[in-house]
Amino acid sequence: MKKKLIASLLATVLTVSTLAGCGGSSGNSTQTNAGSQTETAQDTAAQDTTAQDTATEDTGNTQEAAETAGGDVTIRLFSNLPDRKNGQGLVEQMIIDEYMEANPNVTIEVEALDEEAYKTKFKAYAMSGMPDVVSIWGQPSFLDEVLDAGVLAELNEADYADYKFIAGSLEGFKKDGKLYGLPRNTDIMLFYYNQKMFDDNGWTVPATYDELLELCKTIQGAGITPVAMDGGDGWPMACFLTDILVKVAGTDYAEIIRNAVAAGDFTAPEIREATQILVDSAAAGMFQTGYDSQDYGTTMNLFTNGQAAMYCMGSWDCSMALNEDITPEIRDNIRAFTMPVVEGGKGGAKDIAAWNGGGYAVSASSEVKDEAVKFLNYMYQPDKLSKYGWENGVGMSAQDQTEYLTGNETELQKQVMDILKEATSVSGTPINDCGPSVFKTTIENEIQGVSNGYTSVDDFLEAIGNACK
Amino acid sequence: MKKLYSNKLVIFSLVLPGVLVFLFAVLAPIILSVYYGFTDYSGMGEAKWIGWENYAALFHDSAFGRSLLNSLLLAIGFICIQHPLAILVAAVLDKLQGRAEGVFRCIYFIPNVISVAVIAYLWKFIYNPDFGLLNNVLKFFGYQGKINWLSQQNAIWSVLLVLIWHGFGWGMLIYYTGIKNIDPVLYEAASIDGANWWTTFFRITLPLMKPVIQINVTMAIISALKQMETVYLLTNGGPSNSTQFAANYLYQQAFKSFRYGYGNAIGVVFILICIVTTVVLNTVFREKQDA
Amino acid sequence: MKTTWQKVGKVILWVVLVCVAVIQLFPLIWLVDFSLGSSNEMFTNGLLIIPETIRFDNYVKAFVDGNFLHYLRNSVLINTLAVLLVLIISIMAAFACQRMKWKLSGFVSTLLLLGMMIPIHATLLPNYKIYSTIHLTDTLWALLIPYVAFSLPQGMFLMTGFIQSVPKELEEAAVMDGCGIYRIVFQIITPLLKPSIATVAIMTFLNNWNEFMMASTYLSTPTWKTLPFSVLEFTGEYSSNYAVQFAVMALTAAPAVIVYVILNKHITKGVAMGAVKG
Repeated sequence: MKKKLIASLLATVLTVSTLAGCGGSSGNSTQTNAGSQTETAQDTAAQDTTAQDTATEDTGNTQEAAETAGGDVTIRLFSNLPDRKNGQGLVEQMIIDEYMEANPNVTIEVEALDEEAYKTKFKAYAMSGMPDVVSIWGQPSFLDEVLDAGVLAELNEADYADYKFIAGSLEGFKKDGKLYGLPRNTDIMLFYYNQKMFDDNGWTVPATYDELLELCKTIQGAGITPVAMDGGDGWPMACFLTDILVKVAGTDYAEIIRNAVAAGDFTAPEIREATQILVDSAAAGMFQTGYDSQDYGTTMNLFTNGQAAMYCMGSWDCSMALNEDITPEIRDNIRAFTMPVVEGGKGGAKDIAAWNGGGYAVSASSEVKDEAVKFLNYMYQPDKLSKYGWENGVGMSAQDQTEYLTGNETELQKQVMDILKEATSVSGTPINDCGPSVFKTTIENEIQGVSNGYTSVDDFLEAIGNACK
Repeated sequence: MKKLYSNKLVIFSLVLPGVLVFLFAVLAPIILSVYYGFTDYSGMGEAKWIGWENYAALFHDSAFGRSLLNSLLLAIGFICIQHPLAILVAAVLDKLQGRAEGVFRCIYFIPNVISVAVIAYLWKFIYNPDFGLLNNVLKFFGYQGKINWLSQQNAIWSVLLVLIWHGFGWGMLIYYTGIKNIDPVLYEAASIDGANWWTTFFRITLPLMKPVIQINVTMAIISALKQMETVYLLTNGGPSNSTQFAANYLYQQAFKSFRYGYGNAIGVVFILICIVTTVVLNTVFREKQDA
Repeated sequence: MKTTWQKVGKVILWVVLVCVAVIQLFPLIWLVDFSLGSSNEMFTNGLLIIPETIRFDNYVKAFVDGNFLHYLRNSVLINTLAVLLVLIISIMAAFACQRMKWKLSGFVSTLLLLGMMIPIHATLLPNYKIYSTIHLTDTLWALLIPYVAFSLPQGMFLMTGFIQSVPKELEEAAVMDGCGIYRIVFQIITPLLKPSIATVAIMTFLNNWNEFMMASTYLSTPTWKTLPFSVLEFTGEYSSNYAVQFAVMALTAAPAVIVYVILNKHITKGVAMGAVKG
């Protein structure tokens, strides 16, 4: 023990670790060409398979590659989709089952945890060795440190030329021009609402934020919760804040956040204004009682059980429209709109908060890396994740889905597709994911306190600024 | 006899498993924690020695301060709410004879054998403002509002309520045993003197229970410090760290914020606080007993 | 006059006891009640519901998808092993420190008891590092070692006290008959410790049966996961179906509650004995 300790002490004195900088390659407000070109292969030729075997030597695993080469292979998949019977989790499971059927020698073991628990455990795994295929997020808060540590295997970008990835969607998964993961979705922040409830009460979709506030007051008067908000987790509210900020700052959003993270100073007037709007909205009773402590499932159920008129969440929850656990009366009437414009803000109705967040990667230390990459590629064949996802109504994939239009799409799906198609700009990475992970933890903790009026906007901005330093 | 009882080899073999377990599972991690507490190790890559920086940061960390304050609140809650109730109920239960006594004792203890995982999730539902049991009970009694039990202001008290509820049977049982151990002759003497129940309770039961109370109070304070699992599942420290506890905080820092080194520094301070508290409490109570 | 007062007193006494019993038990009744209904029935104004149809299939789902039997088996196995190890190790160590003559006996005894002061969760981070370095994560040992380690001090403490009260004459007679130390420990002392063994076993069981923090940190595949995981995993899987979530909670709580109610007298005695001495 002692010897080991001294040795590691010496080792650490000798090495100077690189600190992950703030900011990074986030938020490039690209013009969307929803579902058109494939990834522009600008530097694909430059990076062949050279780096395939980097960063894999130091695994120290005992049973080296005993089970590769034709024999039985077990691939461990670590997923953030615990619900295997609905939505995205179902899609993932379908592909796994299909793959195992096509490759009888392959067994895929799934470990699935809720998003928060997933991220915690992922970091623990990063210390000790990853499962073979993992869910990741192509955002600095998640990926920067992970890539610095070299725990993810490099992928060969040229392999994916035919996979119809939407332009720019791979950017978040790259470091120094090398690709380490693939995006699964194009995520858009939405207000889901209950069309029937709206019609019955004569409510209309608001065009401006003031109208939204007014509408919320009316809904409250009717004894219904206006907006169901998963405030217990912190990140949905940060996405909500992002959405407001996009309406306030327009296409400057990414720039403003990048500067704020770099300087550790979030006092820019746009950020302050957006935060103030969030605080005022919460104070006006826009969200359900106890929103700041309720989890994802509880919040969503509030909406799907008709207790709330609207539900603020990303486009991945479009699968609600096909969820058998929800009564048809509600499930068939779910529609969506995007954040209404803020008066005096630079963002137009069609500047939306959207990004390519979640995806998959392969562990650098995987004992069955080749098999794992094979499975990853299988998942991303355009007729798998993308097609099944579309058929199961989980929103937009990060690949071109036009050829899978069946005409049987739910109304909700069509709406979301149109929203993305008609968007004049998309925001890129949401605010909480633009900095290092300390920043992420801090903002997701602090946003609860600022929204419920416990801490002042100034203190909030200062606290998240300090977390970047 | 003597020779047999001082055989070094035999002693060694008897003690070895225990010592090994201690070295491997208690001492080694603490040493490792002390080491990592001096580094900026993120959990991956290389660790860099940064001296006392983590500890300096910890000193200014308001969330950590909040965790300690919460432990204090919890301990006070235990001592001022749970324990008086437990003693009273134990004293009342003692008056009961026959089967009823056993049945009640059994019922009171049941929450104690249920997993924290179930308890925490169950109370999440109980606290739910929309369909939770607690608000439904209030509605039943005519109160119409929706109380947000886990809001920033209320959450710590709600956590406290869960813990008091969960641990009530345990505390009650110990006091109950303590009361049963009191010599019945004393009560007989008191009743001959014409003392009523209250006087007997305050003059005889309570004073004689002093050692039991001291043990229970010590355990309450320690368990308030060590609290993690209920909070981890019920609120995970939120909203905004208002229900943060040291153990949960160090876990979050290490595995959520990529600050493994900092998490370990918290761990070291946390261990020290626990040791000092235990030692201080023991000394204080021992001195009192001697006096 | 006196008798009416006594009657009133008796009524108050019963009211208090019943109230406390209701508070302790009602949440559990609520849990079972709603686990038999459907999710939509959650949103009622009443305290309890009479389900439209009693849905036992909630429990079937919980039983199958919650991996109930497998996790139960793991829990039983791991806890039994932990109890056995704690008993053996603590009896041996307590005997050596209490009865045998050597210089360091006091020191070692204090050392082993020190574990009582260490917060178990503070070792989560470094232990994770250690276990992953030597490949103990996701094995039985990753749970067994800390479970034993953190129940040992208490076991050691109780055993020391109990061994102290065993009369020395017995051992002296045994030595006369030519018994070795091991035989004295395991054949003469141990049988005398029966009640204390029960106490230590019960305390260890209660300590570890419901533990999940270490389990969720050190384990990743279902191979060794314990009963609390039925709840932890299942609630994510069935996040939109409250009734089934309730069913899995009730099911997970059931084994311990049933065993407790059956063995209630012994467990109460054991806990009382351990707690008052501890």
